[in-house]
Amino acid sequence: MGHGKVITITSGKGGVGKTTVTANLSTALAMAGYKVVAIDADIGLRNLDVVMGLENRIVYDLVDVVEGRCRLNQAMIKDKRLEGLSMIPAAQTRDKNAISPTDMVLVCDQLREEVDYIVIDSPAGIERGFQNALAPADQVIIVTNPEVSAVRDADRIIGMIEAEEKGPGKLIINRYKPDMVARGDMLSIEDIVDILHIDIIGIIPEDEKILISTNRGQPLVMQNGHAKETGVAIRNIANRVKGDEIPFIDLAVKDGFMSRLRGWVTS
Amino acid sequence: MNLEATSQLSIKGIRDGLLLTLAPQPSFDDAFANLSNEIQNQGDFLRNSRIAVDLGGRIVNTDQIGAMQEVFANNGIALWAILSHREATRSAARDLGLATRLPGSQMDLQGNGVREPVKTHDGEAAADELANAILINETVRSGRSLYFDGHVVIVGDVNPGAEIVADGNVIVWGKLSGLVHAGANGDESATVSALDLSPTQLRIANRITIAPPVDKKRVPVPETACIKDEQIVAEAWNR
Ligand SMILES: Nc1ncnc2c1ncn2[C@@H]1O[C@H](COP(=O)(O)OP(=O)(O)O)[C@@H](O)[C@H]1O
Ligand SMILES: [Mg+2]
Repeated sequence: MGHGKVITITSGKGGVGKTTVTANLSTALAMAGYKVVAIDADIGLRNLDVVMGLENRIVYDLVDVVEGRCRLNQAMIKDKRLEGLSMIPAAQTRDKNAISPTDMVLVCDQLREEVDYIVIDSPAGIERGFQNALAPADQVIIVTNPEVSAVRDADRIIGMIEAEEKGPGKLIINRYKPDMVARGDMLSIEDIVDILHIDIIGIIPEDEKILISTNRGQPLVMQNGHAKETGVAIRNIANRVKGDEIPFIDLAVKDGFMSRLRGWVTS
Repeated sequence: MNLEATSQLSIKGIRDGLLLTLAPQPSFDDAFANLSNEIQNQGDFLRNSRIAVDLGGRIVNTDQIGAMQEVFANNGIALWAILSHREATRSAARDLGLATRLPGSQMDLQGNGVREPVKTHDGEAAADELANAILINETVRSGRSLYFDGHVVIVGDVNPGAEIVADGNVIVWGKLSGLVHAGANGDESATVSALDLSPTQLRIANRITIAPPVDKKRVPVPETACIKDEQIVAEAWNR
C-alpha cells in the first residue's frame, strides 16, 4: 500500500464548515509542497467543487470511477493555480447508495500510491454516506461550532467514530468569536473540550472573508495578504496534520485558557 | 469483488467479522436467492468468517432467517447478528439466538438512540442474577442510552444527551451531565453519586428532579442524591 494518508473531515450537524475546511486544508497542504487530492463524498449535495472553483471543469465524478465509467485519473481535476492539488467531485444527482464503504477504501488505496494526502469532505454524521467517508480514514477531523447543539451532535459523532474503531479523532472549532466568548455569550474552548475530551487541531475564527472567498471559488488560504489571522489558523491546521507541534497562540491566548489548553493538546 | 458488483449487496469488514448490507429495494426472498447464488459462487472466499446481516426495513420471520443461517453454515460462514429497524425482524432473530445490534454502536439504523442492555463479561447468564454491578470504563457520550438491572459504576463522564438507567444505584467517577435514573424498577432507596453531579434530569424510582442551572464558577464537590421525605435531595459526600 502507498504512503498517502487519508484524512476525513466530518461533523455531527450540517453547515458547520466541513467543506470550507476541506477546501482550505487541502490547499494549505498543497501550498506546503505536498501532493493532495480532495474528495467530495457528499453524494447528491456536491459543493466542494464550487468552493474550490473547479465546478466548470467537471467531466467525471466519484460514482463514474466506482462504476467503472472512467479511470481514477480522469476524474481527478487538477487545480491549475496550484501544483499538486486536485479534487474528485461527488455525483450531483445520483443514488446516494451508489457508493459503499468498500468502494471508498479501494479508491483511496489507489490514491495512496499517488499522493501524500487524501482529504475527504463527508456528509454530516447523521446522513447516509458518513460510513463511506469514515471507512478509509487514517485520521478523522470533526468540525464543530461553538454552539450547544453543534457540540452535542459532535459528541454523538465522536461516539460513533469510536464505535467504528476510528476514534477519537481531532477537533476543529470553526466560527469562533473571541469577543462573544469574553462576554460569556458563546461556549469557550474550555467548555467544549470539557464535554468532548478530544484533542483540538485547530480554531478558526468567524470571518466574513471565508464567505467572500467561497463565492469566488478561491480558498482563502490561496489569497496572500488577506485575512491574516484566519489564514494562519488554517495553515496551522495543515502543519499539525503534518505532525508539527504548533502552539495555540492565535485565539487561545485572548481566551485566557492557554495554560489549560496546553494540557489538552498533547499529540 | 463480485459480491459488490451485483450492487444488491454490500459487504464491509467490521470489528466482529463482516457486515453484509442488502440493498433496500428487493424483497427478502429475491435478495436471499441472489445472496445464496453469490455465496455458492464465492466458495471459499468467505469461509470461516463471522457475518452480520443488515436487513434494513424488511419484516422477516424466524424460518426465513433460519434458512439464511443454514445457507451460510453450509458454506462455513457463521451468521451471528441480524440488524433491522423492524422490531418484528429483530425479535425473530433473537428467537434464533442471534444478536440484533453491533457491540459498541449506539444508534439504531435510523439514528435513534438505542437503550443498550449492558451485560457483564459472562454475557446473559451473569446479567440474569440481579443485584450485581457493572463497571463502565469510558465516557458515555450524547445519544447513548445504557440500561442495567443492577448497580452501574461509570469511570468517566456522562455527557449531556446520554442516558443511564439502573435498577440499582448509579455512581459516576466523573461529571454527570446527562439523564440518570436509579432504582428504575421502583426502589426508593436507590442513590446517584457523582464527583460532579449536574444532570439534566435525575430520577430515582418514580420521582423526577431537574437540576438547577449550574453556576460555572462553582467548584464541584462529590455529591449523593437520594430520596428523603418524599423528595430527591443532593448532599455533599463526606463520610
Ligand atoms: N469561519 C467562518 N466564518 C464565516 N463563515 C463561515 C466560516 N466557516 C464556514 N462559513 C460559512 O458557513 C457556511 C457553511 O459552510 P460549509 O463549509 O458549506 O459547511 P458544511 O460543509 O459543514 O455544510 C458557508 O456559507 C461558509 O461560507
Ligand atoms: Mg458540505
